[in-house]
Amino acid sequence: MEIFKIKNVTFTYPKQEKPVLESINLSIKQGEFVVVFGESGSGKTTLLKMLKRELTPHGKKTGEIYYKGNKLGALDDRTAASKIGYVMQHPETQIVTDKVWNELAFGLENIGIPTSIIRSKVAEIANFFGIHPWFRKKTTKLSGGQKQLLNLASVMVMQPDVLLLDEPTAQLDPIAATNFIATLKKLNSDLGLTIILVEHRLEEVLPLADNVVLLEKGRIIITEKPSEFGKYLKQLDQEHPMLHALPTPMKVFYGLDTDGKSPLTIKEGRDFLSIHYKDDIQALPIMEKNEESEIVIELKNAWFRYERDLPDILSGVNLHIHRGEIISILGGNGSGKTTLLQVISGQNRTYRGNVLINHKKIQKYKGNELYKHNIAVLPQDPQTVFLKATLREDYKEIANVLNYTTKELDRLTDEIATKLEITHLLDQHPYDISGGEQQICALGKILLLQPKILLLDEPTKGIDAFSKQTLLTILKELKRQGLTIIIVTHDVEFAAMISDRVGLFFDGGIISMDSPVEFFSSNNYYTTAASRMSRHLYANTITYKDIISICKQNGEKIYEKTMD
Amino acid sequence: MKSFASFHPIVIFVYYVAVIILTMFMMHPFILGLSLFGSLVLFALMNPIRVFWRDICFYALFFLLIAITNPIFVHKGETILFFLNDNPVTLEAIIYGFAVATMLVAVIFWSKSYNDIITSDKFIYLFGKIVPKLSLIISIALRFIPLFKEQIKKVNQTQKTLGLYTSKSISDRVLSGIRLFNSLITWALENSIQQADAMKAQGYGLKGRTNFSLFYWYVRDIIMLTFILLIFGSIMFLYVKDSNHFTYYPIITKIPLSIQNICQFVLILILMILPSLIEVKEIIQWKYLKSKM
Repeated sequence: MEIFKIKNVTFTYPKQEKPVLESINLSIKQGEFVVVFGESGSGKTTLLKMLKRELTPHGKKTGEIYYKGNKLGALDDRTAASKIGYVMQHPETQIVTDKVWNELAFGLENIGIPTSIIRSKVAEIANFFGIHPWFRKKTTKLSGGQKQLLNLASVMVMQPDVLLLDEPTAQLDPIAATNFIATLKKLNSDLGLTIILVEHRLEEVLPLADNVVLLEKGRIIITEKPSEFGKYLKQLDQEHPMLHALPTPMKVFYGLDTDGKSPLTIKEGRDFLSIHYKDDIQALPIMEKNEESEIVIELKNAWFRYERDLPDILSGVNLHIHRGEIISILGGNGSGKTTLLQVISGQNRTYRGNVLINHKKIQKYKGNELYKHNIAVLPQDPQTVFLKATLREDYKEIANVLNYTTKELDRLTDEIATKLEITHLLDQHPYDISGGEQQICALGKILLLQPKILLLDEPTKGIDAFSKQTLLTILKELKRQGLTIIIVTHDVEFAAMISDRVGLFFDGGIISMDSPVEFFSSNNYYTTAASRMSRHLYANTITYKDIISICKQNGEKIYEKTMD
Repeated sequence: MKSFASFHPIVIFVYYVAVIILTMFMMHPFILGLSLFGSLVLFALMNPIRVFWRDICFYALFFLLIAITNPIFVHKGETILFFLNDNPVTLEAIIYGFAVATMLVAVIFWSKSYNDIITSDKFIYLFGKIVPKLSLIISIALRFIPLFKEQIKKVNQTQKTLGLYTSKSISDRVLSGIRLFNSLITWALENSIQQADAMKAQGYGLKGRTNFSLFYWYVRDIIMLTFILLIFGSIMFLYVKDSNHFTYYPIITKIPLSIQNICQFVLILILMILPSLIEVKEIIQWKYLKSKM
């Protein structure tokens, strides 16, 4: 049975000429798992909001949406609220009340369910989602992953027929994200729930999907099964930016110009390699290390804790960073990576040991000296960088710090805006631009300080594959200009592509620090998808590009026709 | 060790209202003395010994200060003890001073235990009964305050590394504060729009909203409520019936040893130490249960 039928829908926001959605036709069957993706600004979120009546934005709409054969607009309020569930991107903003149990009951209270029934439903859902250990906790005390699970549970408690999710894992760390997606899988396969998911992290989601929809500039350009999806995408454009978003096995598959059904999971990818490619050449040569330049940042036996009776976050960290390096520091949630960055940037002071920036002790920098043409930090939440009504005004503030003249500032702003391709955003309100763009714009403001050392805290959090590529290019360009860059991240794939050296932060110290090839090939668990997919045949292959190149060198296996 | 807290919020609330009314408006020495006694015992049972002694020392000073102040400034009363700077110091004024000090300290200690027992969710539940929308608003506000604090901290740290307004001058700090405040208002508004969306998406605003809570009425709640109301009623009844009202000025009324007075004393005693009795009963019960295990 069809649960949603979208017939020729076009939607235009007020006071705008170009429609955000144009002649959308889509049919979603009961029990289907549909993944919608596309660049930021392609209208994904608007499309999703059109399906949830309470959230449908104002504007001009033509065409019709049917829910189970009836017009969506004709649905009665209670059904509309309870049968179509909606989960948003930010775990924080959609929690309403201060207690977990209260939050779980919130939707049921709204539609007027008697309290005795709420009691049993809440109990049931808390058990299903494993919420019972923190059932009576305050919602502010939960971790990001727990918050998002609570949001999902408080929607599921109303027993919806269809669940709409708008990038629900974008703000979560990889472990919490995997956990969340596993829950979605359970809901879909065990309970037959229809799921429409807008997502740009396709690695884990694609194998679960029945159908993938690609939106571009407000139009649906592909609706396909995941295994066929890449083929059509490639037919459309050999260099389509969304190819970057595909899971590693698919990237390898299409990178090698193979036809047919593409592998989706690592396991399928592994089989694909074993069946089709020879392994005469077993390892890629390791690039020789460049001569090491002078040390710009040095941590000597650094110890840090927040308060006297709290445990140590840094316990005897030693670290040398050379000029012009890109260093990635990986590590689990709450391991203290961000604290390490704050110690290097002078936001937190060590209680034992030394931090030397350009051979000078960090305490000796007075006032804002450290931040003038020296260290700049891009925080995890780019919104905290902006305080003004437009980006341009925000950029102007930097003039106060570095005493730029108006002319100088305008020239610099133009230069950086052109380089980052954000000129068209300069007169917008920082909150009106998408997450990925916010990240780049925040970086722009920081670059105005003309730093020599750049510290980035989770720069790829919540941004799509395309923005990630942009960021990669920008950072590589900055490195060429001689900047030293330290990145703290969860994103192993990003770290593998960009870093000169990679370190793992664990239990208050940096455990191993090596070139990405050595680091990821020697790790068995904490490594990239490409490494896991190819390590049974080849060594030193840590990105999909590595696999493609070694496969090309080896060549395909040739099977005799008579083999079967 | 808070078994009194496990009663239904309405029972607890009614108890506190009864005790506070008696303590504040009946300046009867029985009530004042027993109320102070009851509040101290409950406080001692609910807090570590160290905290109890620290507070006792502090409030003992407070108590003496008030008790001494009254006879210095008030010269009513017939029994003059001595003259201070040509002003009479009377026995009645001294005793009244002690009574007022007792009343204040008792109310303070009752409020201390009230704060521990009536937690935010109970508070919301109690007032949600009267104004249903209010309980939701309080709940949203209680969630928002820590969120707001966290954001201030984050923005401050970021702005510091941007090198803005890091000098120590006052004008810089004020300017920086204003800037920050402005942006936080924007942030809060942005946040609340999304929150409003989330609320609408879950059907907020439909007619016939119910109010779910984790508090249920058990038989023991009803028994306890009836008991509290009965004792409170009897105390009030005896007080009103008593033709010989207690006064401090000009002469302190004598309290004869009559059956009525004994009854009144016992009733007040029971009411004032009721929560402590429940706590003690629970302690003994658990000791006994453990020894059986």
